[in-house]
Amino acid sequence: MELFLSQILNGLAIGQVYALIALGFSLVFGVANIINFAQGALFMLGAFIAYSAIAWFGLPLVPAAAVSVVIVAILGLLLERIALRPLIGAPYVAPFLSTLAISTIIDQSAEIVWSPESQPFPASISSTTFFIGNAYITVTDLVIFGFGAAATVALTLFVSFTWTGRALRATAQDASAAAQLGIRTDVMRQIAFGLAGALGALSGILVALYFQSVFPQMGIPFGLKGFAAALLGGLASIPGAVVGGLLLGIGETLASAYVGDSYRDAIAFTLLLLMLLVRPNGLLGGGRLDALGGAAAAAGAMPTTSLLASSSSQQSALRAYYLPPWGFLAVGAAFTLVPLVVSSTYVLQALIYGFIFALLSASTSLVSGSVGILSIGQAAFFGVGAYAVGVFARPYGLPADATLVIAIGLTALVAVGAAIPLLKLTGHTAALGTLAIGQIGFLVFLNWVSVTRGPMGILNIPHPVLELLGGLRFATTEQKYWLVLGFVAVALVIAERYVSSPIGRVWRAIREDRLAALAAGLPVRRYILLAFAVSGALAGLAGGLFAYVQQVVSPESFTVETSILVLTMAVLGGLGNLTGAALAGFALAILPEFLRGFAEWRMIVYGLLLLVALRVRPQGLLGAR
Amino acid sequence: MTGEAIVVDNVSRVFGGLKAVDGASLKLARGETVAIVGPNGAGKSTLIQLISGVERADSGTIHVDEVRTDHLPPDRIARLGVGRSFQTSRVFPALTVWDSVLVGVQAGLIETRSGRLIDPVTESAGALLGLPFWQRRVAAQEAAAEAALKLFGDRLWPRRDQPALGLSYANRRRLEIARLLAAEPRYLLLDEPSAGMNPTETEELTHLILDLRRTHPDMGILVIEHKLSMVRRIADRVVVLNQGRVLIEDRPDHALDHPEVVEAYLGRARSGANFQDAHHG
Repeated sequence: MELFLSQILNGLAIGQVYALIALGFSLVFGVANIINFAQGALFMLGAFIAYSAIAWFGLPLVPAAAVSVVIVAILGLLLERIALRPLIGAPYVAPFLSTLAISTIIDQSAEIVWSPESQPFPASISSTTFFIGNAYITVTDLVIFGFGAAATVALTLFVSFTWTGRALRATAQDASAAAQLGIRTDVMRQIAFGLAGALGALSGILVALYFQSVFPQMGIPFGLKGFAAALLGGLASIPGAVVGGLLLGIGETLASAYVGDSYRDAIAFTLLLLMLLVRPNGLLGGGRLDALGGAAAAAGAMPTTSLLASSSSQQSALRAYYLPPWGFLAVGAAFTLVPLVVSSTYVLQALIYGFIFALLSASTSLVSGSVGILSIGQAAFFGVGAYAVGVFARPYGLPADATLVIAIGLTALVAVGAAIPLLKLTGHTAALGTLAIGQIGFLVFLNWVSVTRGPMGILNIPHPVLELLGGLRFATTEQKYWLVLGFVAVALVIAERYVSSPIGRVWRAIREDRLAALAAGLPVRRYILLAFAVSGALAGLAGGLFAYVQQVVSPESFTVETSILVLTMAVLGGLGNLTGAALAGFALAILPEFLRGFAEWRMIVYGLLLLVALRVRPQGLLGAR
Repeated sequence: MTGEAIVVDNVSRVFGGLKAVDGASLKLARGETVAIVGPNGAGKSTLIQLISGVERADSGTIHVDEVRTDHLPPDRIARLGVGRSFQTSRVFPALTVWDSVLVGVQAGLIETRSGRLIDPVTESAGALLGLPFWQRRVAAQEAAAEAALKLFGDRLWPRRDQPALGLSYANRRRLEIARLLAAEPRYLLLDEPSAGMNPTETEELTHLILDLRRTHPDMGILVIEHKLSMVRRIADRVVVLNQGRVLIEDRPDHALDHPEVVEAYLGRARSGANFQDAHHG
């Protein structure tokens, strides 16, 4: 009982931090109607700038924190200015992808500046512990809770009683009405982003104090938890964000105490998916998600989630260049000749990864483009396929035809299961749902040690043998090249057949207008699940082939970075255009292999590429379909 | 026994504190054309939302051909043969005109005669392999789609390869109706089909509906329409809604000239029959 009470107190402290991150989401969502994917990156920067101010410049904690809050608030303003303002009136996916690109750039730059390793945070609060009966609470908990609560109260007072606060709320209620009354809604947007930056930085510093460490990858999990808290409370509601944060903090602390600490994050993300499934409008939420095309599609107020249609769209944006299904076979046939000319195993190996990522990128384009549910969790499906081969190839000694069928089937099943919580969602909310799926996948690969062997991974995967071809063994790089090329070409033919068939047409109709698709008598959910099954099958095959090529499967191949990479490929190629996705996937996967020293900068360059593409060619290289 | 008809019985729907539809009853038999008129906020559109399952009724029942539908999802109701248009027409912006109409016939493609849906695996096999049984179904649906587009003369058919977002406002409305007709519905619910159309286009639409009555004598048509001159020409019956209730239900000339109706529409009684088009929106 005392332990239970201590956990609650402990949970309130971390929950208050989640509440602050959640408030950042809520403010921006309320005023600008977008979900700021980069909120987590601002949070991480807040922690690291405070870290540097203390460790490099010897500032005491409080001034360091103040410096950090000011700098990150300014970065929040810049984010709005650079990444979002130019995209007003663009299709709904553009601002989200833009914040995704910014987030990637910030995260990767942080890894270069501060190294990818975790650093001890150089300041701490007294570790004195108070006892209330047998329950205990540390001063750190109290300070964090106090600061978080004070910031929340200050924000609430600001929003409730100042003129600017009222203008902010008016803009959130109805931006065009507010503009008609003379409120400068563009300034309000900037204020919201600045405040979100300040809140992000403050919460980052509190988390650093709480866990006594900072690491560049902390942005995404904490950002996602903040989003979960915001969603739990109703996304556009300030009291909701606070209640959501506290509930999440308590739930997570209890879960980590009674279920196991390694599942702490997985529990938060599972809770997020459950919330999306059961009550996507949140506990205290109003109907604001509808405005985003989120929950309760049937409300009739749902806007189009079209990738292309927008106030500024041009008909020329609809021109897409793509191969017919047999075209993939023709290209594949041409590539079979390469090993006859090129003998370098290094080059062949690079091309093999190019093929695998072409397939993975196409699988992402299918759900993200054709159905319009941006997938930031594709690495999880990729991983399921890879682990299926890893698990079944050695201990069970199954041939590649069997393991690959298992990889394809299992991943399709997992993808369908993962899609169920997303069925009611569209737009940014669905995208964050896929991110949660990706994170859960990664945590399962990392922590389900009895099956995945945890961080070690599965080693010594045997060379693939195709029993159907009389036990043909693929041991050399050339042989594996032909094997991968064959499977990828055939899979792309099937995928393209799907997208060009009436089924693909229905997928695009669902993307364009889900309600109209329902009114046309189409079983929308079934078609979405089918899309996830096909996408999962393709990603599973890519994963299975990847396992055979690498001969090792370990969790770090299936991080959110991989998911963002393949989504970037799909967007650059032209969402929904499998030819474009395959081309971009192939090109961006082999590029780092041929540019020395590029690997470290790769994600930053691709993030910038995405940012620029969203402004100058949002339909992608070959045109979205 | 209600027979082959859409029967709305004592249905209510409350939004917050507002009773949008308040105990309304209505019957649309196959082969008849019924117009719903009434001032803004009378609950006309909500009634179509309720019949098509986009909104759920708080109380009351709705039957389509004796199947109770007030708890069914919109796609199921659509597959019972209820096609509806939207007040602000909903086309699939990035799809071409031709693809949009094919989406309209897709439900027919995957539905068997017994009303069951073909499972996704069979559908995938049919679509990917181009099996003969599938190709025959596709050909039949494409013929229906082509016929529906050609109902609009040279308004849509020559534009079939253009994306819907490039269409004019009136053509979007036509495309939406073509998509509905391609599915050969038993009932057609049109929510202000002439909104945003000029007099010539409205005249064209009036003729289209009159033609439909002739070519599809078994189809029940429910039209929400503000242009009362059009209502007088197309409707067998007129249902006047006011504040969510059915004020009157009668032949067009009786209903539209009824003093209570004139008052509900214009706020006060007027003499004479100068009660023509309430809105020219």
